[in-house]
Amino acid sequence: MKKSSKLVYEENPEKVERADVVVGISSSDSAEFIGHTAEQAASGLLDYFGSKNSVIINVDSDSRDRTKEVFLGTTTEVPKVYLSTPPGTKGRGHNLRNLVTKAAELKAEAVIVVDAAFKSITPLWIKNLGEPIFSGFSFVSPLYLRHKYEGVLTSGIAYPLTRVLYGRRVRQPSGGDFAFGMTMAETYLHHPTGGEKAVQQAGIDVWMTTLAITQGVPICQSFVGRPNMQRSPDGVMPQVSAFVDVVGTVFDLMGFFQERWQKVKWSKPTAVFGFGMGEVEAPPLLEVSEADLYRAFLQGFSQYQTLWESLLDTKTFNKLTEVKNLPVAHFSFPSELWAMIVFRYAVAQSNQLTDRQTLLESLLPIFHGKSLSFVKKTERMSIQQAEEYIENECMIFEEMKSYLAADWQGKQ
Amino acid sequence: MAKILVVDDEEHIRLLYSEELREEGYDVITAEGGYRLLDRIDREHPDLVVLDIKMVDYDGLDLLQDIRNKFYDLPVILSTAYDTFKEDMKSIAADFYVVKSFDLGELKRKIKMALEARASE
Repeated sequence: MKKSSKLVYEENPEKVERADVVVGISSSDSAEFIGHTAEQAASGLLDYFGSKNSVIINVDSDSRDRTKEVFLGTTTEVPKVYLSTPPGTKGRGHNLRNLVTKAAELKAEAVIVVDAAFKSITPLWIKNLGEPIFSGFSFVSPLYLRHKYEGVLTSGIAYPLTRVLYGRRVRQPSGGDFAFGMTMAETYLHHPTGGEKAVQQAGIDVWMTTLAITQGVPICQSFVGRPNMQRSPDGVMPQVSAFVDVVGTVFDLMGFFQERWQKVKWSKPTAVFGFGMGEVEAPPLLEVSEADLYRAFLQGFSQYQTLWESLLDTKTFNKLTEVKNLPVAHFSFPSELWAMIVFRYAVAQSNQLTDRQTLLESLLPIFHGKSLSFVKKTERMSIQQAEEYIENECMIFEEMKSYLAADWQGKQ
Repeated sequence: MAKILVVDDEEHIRLLYSEELREEGYDVITAEGGYRLLDRIDREHPDLVVLDIKMVDYDGLDLLQDIRNKFYDLPVILSTAYDTFKEDMKSIAADFYVVKSFDLGELKRKIKMALEARASE
């Protein structure tokens, strides 16, 4: 996370110069939601961190919809600061870079990050994310109660891959709500991989989580209930840009941390904080179009078949072709095949076998095929049963890690 | 030699696990329940805990939370007669779970994996 040479726009009407606890609200054209988020954050700070100096910072991506006016105009007992990227610069990674820089300037002990688009945020989120930092943890990752088809980018690739690489089970490595202490803030400010383009965008969350895992600092997961997003970027068909940024960031970091992940065997759990949220509303039903997923998978063959043939070994490519020939009613994408393809792609990105953007975009149709299989296999399952299915897939990734290590060593 | 603490309120399970795990080369100590369990762990420094979930006087998942809070990195394998406990999210703080059986192959495999995971860091 390199410091920007560009000026950051700041409004600090109450001239806040020190704070023990910072709540950072990341936004981009969020005028509709940010008032509610700021009110909930202020209540959480007053209810649970009342003895500490606190501040709410809106880190904004040059919004044009009065986000700043709504934020600063929301009445709260906690002081507020508004920061924005320079005109024309957008990206969640830029927002969080500004937040970390400002939190370091304020000498904050704890930084709690929430997204402006969550309408389900309550004061308990602030408690559950912030308290572990004052109990000795350096990084707190969120645990959500989500519909089984929400967040497939996380459950299908970001989670299994970070888990198999670094041996730590952090269920939401690209979750947008988390907390960290100043040890991690220093790491974020000075880490050499912080300048990557994907890290300045949607890759930021998985980057921050991966750095926390690899630093060996105490980390925990905190239950924050159901994330009800106004605009979900990570449904069953993730946006291309989010997919490229998140997966690309995980692959990029494999190069930097190669000595570490090659030594890791199996995985271990991460402590959990924040039970006792009371009854959490069940997530709403999520409509999934199997036909859309199937079509997107098949379209990948028209667009990327030649590339896939060159990237994958013959056995893996032939298996993928067998999957293609299955009718949607009997569609099944073996987890072992998915793991093998992900591993091949990771090595291919490291080898720069093809243009990075094209490479990552070409993985997305295969991911849609894998997601269709997940939807079909888990359609009659409860959330908990689907979670077990994901855990089993992660074990398959772990059992196959030797293939990744061999392939990686072979490239050198 | 890794030291394993078996926590179970059923004597025959403690005996079975102790005998079989000692044959595997582990040093085994046992506890009947959760009373002063954290003190025991503090004193005897086991490398891994095999924890029964349903004991007469203790809830194994609450004990798991207590262990995690104090001994952040200590591997814990949940041992249970039924797998309905997975409905409780607290169970994700365990390294693994095994369903109780007289064939301890799965337990031994999970113990090996949990110890290897710690050793590989």
